[in-house]
Amino acid sequence: MISVRGLTKDFGRVRAVDDLTFDVAPGTVTGFLGPNGAGKSTTMRMLLGLDRPTSGTATVGGRRYAEHAAPLREVGALLDASAVHPGRTGRTHLRIAARTNGIPLARVDEVLDRVGLTGAAGRRVKGYSLGMRQRLGIAAALLGDPPVLLFDEPVNGLDLEGVRWIRSLFRECAAEGRTVLVSSHLMSEVQLVADRVVIIGRGRLVADAAVGEVVGAAGRRVRVRSPRADALARLLAERGEVTSAGPDELDVVGLTEAEVGTAAHEHGLPVHHLAEVAGSLEAAYWSLTEGEVEFRGEDAAAPEQEVAG
Amino acid sequence: MTVLRTFGRTVAAEWLRLVTVRSTWVLLVLLALAVTALGALAGYDAAQGAGFDAPARTAWDDARFTLLFLLFGLVALSCVATASDYGTGGIVPTLQWTPRRGVLLAARTVVVAGVSVLVGMLLLTVAAALVAVQADGLGLSPDVGASTLGDTALVVGSGTVMGVGLGLLTRSTAGALVTAIGLLVVLPLVLGNLPYETLRTLAEHLPGTGAVVVVFGEGPSPETTAAQGRLTLLAWAAGTLLLGGLRLLRTDATR
Ligand SMILES: Nc1ncnc2c1ncn2[C@@H]1O[C@H](COP(=O)(O)OP(=O)(O)O)[C@@H](O)[C@H]1O
Ligand SMILES: [Mg+2]
Repeated sequence: MISVRGLTKDFGRVRAVDDLTFDVAPGTVTGFLGPNGAGKSTTMRMLLGLDRPTSGTATVGGRRYAEHAAPLREVGALLDASAVHPGRTGRTHLRIAARTNGIPLARVDEVLDRVGLTGAAGRRVKGYSLGMRQRLGIAAALLGDPPVLLFDEPVNGLDLEGVRWIRSLFRECAAEGRTVLVSSHLMSEVQLVADRVVIIGRGRLVADAAVGEVVGAAGRRVRVRSPRADALARLLAERGEVTSAGPDELDVVGLTEAEVGTAAHEHGLPVHHLAEVAGSLEAAYWSLTEGEVEFRGEDAAAPEQEVAG
Repeated sequence: MTVLRTFGRTVAAEWLRLVTVRSTWVLLVLLALAVTALGALAGYDAAQGAGFDAPARTAWDDARFTLLFLLFGLVALSCVATASDYGTGGIVPTLQWTPRRGVLLAARTVVVAGVSVLVGMLLLTVAAALVAVQADGLGLSPDVGASTLGDTALVVGSGTVMGVGLGLLTRSTAGALVTAIGLLVVLPLVLGNLPYETLRTLAEHLPGTGAVVVVFGEGPSPETTAAQGRLTLLAWAAGTLLLGGLRLLRTDATR
């Protein structure tokens, strides 16, 4: 059980995390989403006692992380896979971890096997690819067989097979009753595995709900194509929210198909295509975090695009 | 009780950290070669100079100067062992596995300084033995040996504790090494030879001067005593460890 209450972190004059409150329940995979710079890593670092909160609390299993006698048995976490001494072997890295928390050394070979690093365990980390370092970090997270797992952007650097593997790992962990919190700046990465999402933007909570709820609430829209898209956009903007979805194409939120069609007809504007588009989590994410993005490129307005950062 | 158990586990982990990086072994091997060679040369020299004027002179006295080399080498080891965690980012997993920072501070200090002191005493004994086997007149008096090894423990112990403090304070291997060289070699030499009274006084209170005073028994001015040198070394060790420790305990664990 992860519990975040009024968590706030200032770096000088930058407020990285702003009065954040949420819980993560056991037996679920929770996606922790937000554009780059939203404060995901900082939140996770505070959960692990690496950064000191300016105010508020972050607890795991009812206690601050550092208060656990053997924290690796309570929380496994992978923050930055490249943050490993490059001169040690993967196995030595894990042995040191095992020593710190009184975990039997036999467990090292078990987790190496589970992440598929047995063959490379005797090599120096220096020679590992980013994907192998991610696997090593995941092995360290699993070492203490902890009920709570935190992963910060774990998919970075993994190939397609690795991405599939890590998704099934998350599902297995949740099925075993563990609490899994996975951060990402890409909705598409989390969409397939998460039961719930906690979305933040500029350090503030934007949404905390089941995936289905988020999609239902914010994703639905009407797509309309017209050779006079500009005129149609001006007309519809009075009644709903209009964004460009391509040449001659508009996305309209807040109006039904019928309302869009009738409005176009009344003003004599031709319509070549009119359809309701089911909400996608990506679209919902975009509409929720719009305005919460720290840095945004000129052309980042379409929901299909990655959130700029 | 749980703090003690955590401390024990952390000491075991810190030991493993120290001996599983190549830089530790490179430094120790180089240091062992240097001190062995210096001991052999000192013994050769002693064997040549026939008349042993001072009857109380022992092999320990002729090997004593190698203590300065031991100090420099082992301080470098302590700086590297402490600060490399920051350069590699390894500090993140380190603190994740041992979030009680006071425990980490204590364990790292004990392991790095403890190993250094043992290595220092061992190598100084080797150097003294190399003198004794070559120079017939010079023996390995147990009394002088005990006081020499006691001084070795003090000089190397306080120097390496200072190195741990500097590593934690600068969070950079290069920064810690440069600061240590400055405090041990450059500043004492430069400031001690300037025509300004205040700067010369300052130089007398630097750890490098303190070490020279303890090793050779006399300092830049007639008033400086070995006791003062010991005090200087201990004060620098305590001060830098305090500042470095505060930085570890009070601030975020950034690289
Ligand atoms: N150590 C730090 N010093 C100063 N600013 C920081 C530090 N760490 C993070 N920040 C700032 O805090 C904000 C949140 O960063 P971060 O938590 O890394 O976001 P995310 O992981 O969601 O991309 C950003 O504006 C970032 O620049
Ligand atoms: Mg991040």
